Amino acid sequence: MRKSDRRLHPASHLVRRILSGVIVAEAALLLVYLAGVFGTYDLGYALSLLPPRGRALTTGLLTTLGFMAVVIPLGFSLGFAFGWARTSTAWPARAVATTYVEFFRGMPPIVLIAFAFLITIVLLKGNDRIDLFAFATGAGVMALAAHSGAYQAEIIRAGILSVPTGQVEAGEAIGMSKGTILTRITLPQMFRISLPALGNEFASLIKDTSLLSTIGALDLTFQGKNLSSVLITGGGSLDLVIIMWVEIAVLYFVITFVVSRSLLAIERRFRVPGLEAAQL
Amino acid sequence: MITGVNLHKWFGELHVLKGVSLEVAKGETLVIIGPSGSGKSTLLRCINLLVQPDEGDVIIDGVKVNDPKIRPEWVRQQVGMVFQSFNLFTHLTALHNVMIGLTKVKRLPKAEAERIARFELERVGLADKADAYPAQLSGGQQQRVAIARALALNPKAMLFDEPTSALDPEYIREVLDVMTKLADEGMTMVVVTHEMGFAHNVADRVLFMADGVVVEEGAPEEVFERPQKNRTKAFVAKILG
Repeated sequence: MRKSDRRLHPASHLVRRILSGVIVAEAALLLVYLAGVFGTYDLGYALSLLPPRGRALTTGLLTTLGFMAVVIPLGFSLGFAFGWARTSTAWPARAVATTYVEFFRGMPPIVLIAFAFLITIVLLKGNDRIDLFAFATGAGVMALAAHSGAYQAEIIRAGILSVPTGQVEAGEAIGMSKGTILTRITLPQMFRISLPALGNEFASLIKDTSLLSTIGALDLTFQGKNLSSVLITGGGSLDLVIIMWVEIAVLYFVITFVVSRSLLAIERRFRVPGLEAAQL
Repeated sequence: MITGVNLHKWFGELHVLKGVSLEVAKGETLVIIGPSGSGKSTLLRCINLLVQPDEGDVIIDGVKVNDPKIRPEWVRQQVGMVFQSFNLFTHLTALHNVMIGLTKVKRLPKAEAERIARFELERVGLADKADAYPAQLSGGQQQRVAIARALALNPKAMLFDEPTSALDPEYIREVLDVMTKLADEGMTMVVVTHEMGFAHNVADRVLFMADGVVVEEGAPEEVFERPQKNRTKAFVAKILG
């Protein structure tokens, strides 16, 4: 009985087939294009630039991974706290959370990052005991986390509201405390329902860290822009620039893929009949 | 065992319970009948304080329980409740639905809790469904697991809120059978139901409610066969058709 439950709906087989078809076609197109690029490619020149490119992309990758390591947990914590507050029965909590969500959701992340960066510079200017640029970058990172937190708050709120009141009532009826009901009933059900949407938001957030390059953070995107101008002014080879951006794209793809696959594994691990989230 | 004295409840402007009193002796089965909206469910929820009565007293085993000094969580451990829509915890297997009250409320060790849970599932005839999730069970099976979940805490009394109303007809019998067995074993029970057969055969007393008051109360054959009040006559005539 359990086994048959895991079998996919026929429609999702079809979707899967179409998707894999699209992926294969895209990959083929990319190969044809790259072959064209490589055809007119000065290999010796490209190889001579490999070490500096490698160094730059390594720095960029580590910076991007570092941003992720801050932005994902911070954004999730904010989203969880404010999403929960939005379902609170206490109106001040709801008011604060609603203001937070509307404010940070209502502005482009790049604007928030710029504001946070500039305000920090203005406030801390002239204080030479601190690294002003690091502080301002940190503020930009927080702004990005707050932006994502606003989206995640809505996901968490929807998840909490989708747990039927009868579940809470049943917990009360066997004498559970409010805390036990929250940790043993509401949260486990909410997470199962919210995980796909959270995964989606994480994937989007990873790529949004590229916006931090606008305030001079040395992430992958910044390295790409920087190397582009170096390569173009230096050798004038556009081909190498394209190759380098493909490398960056692949790095972003791999990071996002690993994160979303991990979340999918968690989702599968905790899947329970009757609590499957709507398939995206 | 259970006494309700002059219970009142308002939901906003709506006066749902208008001074209801009831008395259930130890080992007795009381069936509450009445049209929908008459306050039956609210009365039941006042007994285990899922709803706080605005006026009046609830006394269980000699203790006034709607008292700020008494934790509602404690009261609810004394009185088990079964809901119309089962409300099994969706993310837990049948076994863990029954165990969770023992491990997280009574703080029993896991092995002990599992032993009790398996025993209670056996009692409702579902020992072989221990590892099934609620979504994999029929309505009747889910409701029997819900009964086992309440019984596992060894309550002094059981409250049933229309336990068969959400069931397909073919599953009603198995739930009523479990309830009848419980009554025979001497469990104190308060049952809100539209199952007149069950009320007639199992109830020690029947209480007819309408518009937030108790209209009539007595042995089943009195209420069903010789109702005194016009409202009771009309309701009984409609229901027994």
